[in-house]
Amino acid sequence: MWKRIVTHDELIERIDALGRERRLIGPVAREAPGCHPPLRYFYEHVTRAAQLSLDFDYCVYGPKAFVLPPRETLFRFDRSAGTFVATPIMDAQPTALVGAHPCDLHGLRLLDAVFQNDRPDEQYRARRSALFVVGIDCARPCDARATCADWGTNRVVGGCDVMLYADPRNCGNNRRNAQYAVEFCSEAGRTWLGDAGRADDDAVAVSAGYHARKDAAFTRRLSASVEQLPALVRASYDSHIWEKHAARCYSCGSCNLVCPTCYCFDIQDDCDFNGAGGSRQREWDACMLPDFAVVAGGHNFRLLAAQRLRHRVMRKAAWIQQRTGLSACVGCGRCDRACTASISLIDMLNEAAQEAGNAHR
Amino acid sequence: MRTDRPLMCPPQVSATALCDYVPRPARVMSITKMTPHDALFSLELIDGKTLGHRPGQFVQFSILGVGECPISVCSSPTRPQQFQLSVRRVGEVTSAIHRLRTGEIVGVRGPLGRGIEPSEIDGRDILVAVGGCALAPARSLIHYILDQRVRFGRFDLLYGAKSPREMLFRNELKIWRDSRDLNCQITVDAGDATWRGRTGAVTRLFEDLPPMNTTNTVAVIIGPPAMFRHVLTEVLKRGIPADRVFCSLERRMKCGIGKCGHCQVNDLYSCIDGPVFRYSEIRSRPEAFA
Amino acid sequence: MIDDLDVRCPIPDRGAAPILPVPVEGVQAPRPRIGIFSLTSCEGCSLTILEQEDELLSLLGAIDIVDFREAKSGADGEVDIAFVDGAVSSPHDVARVRQIRKNARILVAIGACACLGGVNTLKHAQSEHDYRQFVYGDRAPQFPTGDARPLSAVVRVDYELPGCPMVGAEFLRFVRCVLSGRPFRLPNDAVCVECKRRGTLCLYEKGETCLGPVTRGGCAAICPAYGARCEGCRGLLGNEQLRIFARNCLQLHGTPLAEILDRLRLFGVFQGETLPDSQPPDGPPT
Repeated sequence: MWKRIVTHDELIERIDALGRERRLIGPVAREAPGCHPPLRYFYEHVTRAAQLSLDFDYCVYGPKAFVLPPRETLFRFDRSAGTFVATPIMDAQPTALVGAHPCDLHGLRLLDAVFQNDRPDEQYRARRSALFVVGIDCARPCDARATCADWGTNRVVGGCDVMLYADPRNCGNNRRNAQYAVEFCSEAGRTWLGDAGRADDDAVAVSAGYHARKDAAFTRRLSASVEQLPALVRASYDSHIWEKHAARCYSCGSCNLVCPTCYCFDIQDDCDFNGAGGSRQREWDACMLPDFAVVAGGHNFRLLAAQRLRHRVMRKAAWIQQRTGLSACVGCGRCDRACTASISLIDMLNEAAQEAGNAHR
Repeated sequence: MRTDRPLMCPPQVSATALCDYVPRPARVMSITKMTPHDALFSLELIDGKTLGHRPGQFVQFSILGVGECPISVCSSPTRPQQFQLSVRRVGEVTSAIHRLRTGEIVGVRGPLGRGIEPSEIDGRDILVAVGGCALAPARSLIHYILDQRVRFGRFDLLYGAKSPREMLFRNELKIWRDSRDLNCQITVDAGDATWRGRTGAVTRLFEDLPPMNTTNTVAVIIGPPAMFRHVLTEVLKRGIPADRVFCSLERRMKCGIGKCGHCQVNDLYSCIDGPVFRYSEIRSRPEAFA
Repeated sequence: MIDDLDVRCPIPDRGAAPILPVPVEGVQAPRPRIGIFSLTSCEGCSLTILEQEDELLSLLGAIDIVDFREAKSGADGEVDIAFVDGAVSSPHDVARVRQIRKNARILVAIGACACLGGVNTLKHAQSEHDYRQFVYGDRAPQFPTGDARPLSAVVRVDYELPGCPMVGAEFLRFVRCVLSGRPFRLPNDAVCVECKRRGTLCLYEKGETCLGPVTRGGCAAICPAYGARCEGCRGLLGNEQLRIFARNCLQLHGTPLAEILDRLRLFGVFQGETLPDSQPPDGPPT
């Protein structure tokens, strides 16, 4: 339930208050000459709320890097003089992520489900439990590649402390007039923005028809419902569509690396020149890279780009969901934007669904 | 960055309680060379605990500064003082392991993965078919059965190696072959001047296998992918149901806790769903034997 | 036509490449003797070593540099590891690199010139006579230079550390590997991997045809991170990737293949015939 209205000025003041206790991360505009539009947004560290652009369309990368860094040290070791000392490294610095869009909050929920399950990952858990999250609704499709409406990931169902919805009546050209309806999702969130208890009429007015208007604005669609999709994609396992699309694929891994729910990693050691000290690190890996499924002795279980592409699509559309109950694709469109060979996950899913659907009939 | 209290050796707190990725220190108690590229390492955990594994489970064997690699435990939990790992030298980490000397301290994470549950095999006739260096993981089960022989019915062990030189645990094979506790048959792809045993693929050994009571038999198959397909055909042909056929699938596990994605067999993670799978779980998964 | 495209690629893993004897614990191993040599080059790769300021002292504590023109003088003698930058482009270079090879247990080619020929190969656009005339005029006979070749065209090379210049961090990783007796391998991934890990805005969004997707990574994607497209100085991942790239270029990015191949000449990655612009990307084999 949307409980109250917060004005732009009050929000900025509250974010700055947050920033005095935590490091702040949020959407920042960067000039991108040559791009259309010539502005791109990135989740970045900021020191003041005024640096944030809360009315951004989308961030080029999701907030994954702040809970699962591209490279992190798992532990340091010292084995000088035959000893064995290993010191785990945990990063639990209080942090606030302000201005995450619904797709990215769903991405975070999936990472939570994977890394905080019955075999928790301590590094992730330390970072995540120190993270305060303020979501902000995007109100409209960020661009023509977004399919979040069909995945059901354009609405927030948790994964944050506070959710903000820009008031369409007051978000025009003058940013200072902007105001937001507030939905509280945690105790910490209530404390931060002050929950008066009963919903105020203005907030309720903002909520009227809000989601219906947004849902209707999406143009890119999945050809099958998100309930049917896993079975249809599975049924296309032996289809030729993987080879067809893989013929253009460089196996560069970009689609994996920009995905807010791709979490595969590699583990490597680094050591000093004298070999006595060093660290074990993990680094984002990508199942599209040629060597991902190589085993000792050199056998590659996914030698062909088509096999790797299929593996990636199966994970996104079926396998991870079967394990976590959550959709592994949040419809953000980043993989499609990132592919320099114009291979589209959504196209592949639609083709797979269509093919399997036809075969079924 | 917060740095947790270092884990001194011997550690006060179990490393796994703090971070799943930190290995437990273990001491190399003995090293036995078995073939030009296989060696057997006997290890003891520094904290004095037993490993507490099941046959079929694996550990991540760590050489700090080089990396870690998944190795099946080849000793039986019925012999708990030390645990043994048979390591073939194929890559960076295993080469470093082969340079170890007795007394050195290494890192171990585990036991990891799903092994063979005692309830699956208790009271059953057991057929173990093994190819190549997979005798190492199978040995854990073999000792487990032999050490509690009365708990099991008939026990057949079929082993195929490339050549007599490539054979692991030669002394034990001799004992098993002459033992009345099991029917141990051995074949090699190519014999040499000293070899008086059988030659040919491991599937040939099925030809002389006495009829089995398939309603009570559990089959365990471990080996390279090519061997799997042929042996599976033989086993299924004899009527052992797919949910009583266990296969151990080798992959390059990295995290060992079902996250990093490297050991996936289609939708399954061989590090948590396996490495020991029922055939009924993997028969519809094309990557299992690809 | 596209199926015949052939480029020089650094070799990521030389398999049986030698490593130094593994240090035995408790025994003070002698520091390996290192020589750093330059052939036809700007010596920028050698200078890269001196730029590793943060690690220079511990590096110097672990190795013994016996010959390094940029930092100290020394006599040509036997070394454990010889790092050589520059292309082989004269009879003098040939003799020199053969001597270095003879004196070194491990020979490492550093930088684009030593690995691929590098920018020196740009002169191949002209005939040998013409470029010598252009540079030396009447005195050309006194300067017997010829085509620029990578070291591997003349001697056996154990490892290659490509890039223009060589990547300092990769050099340090190489030294650590060799000191601890581990084999060294170049990354087998595209530049895109590190580019995405560091959160760079893809240059394709600006309509630029970056060579990152087909170029061997390991450089921390430094050029795209600063807004400059990748020009492939570390060599390509392989011919298969180049062929896919060639097919995609015109179709997807409106970039003629001829332009890409010309760009690949910059570091000597591509040395073949440039296809005429009119050639359709899927034209029949000639």
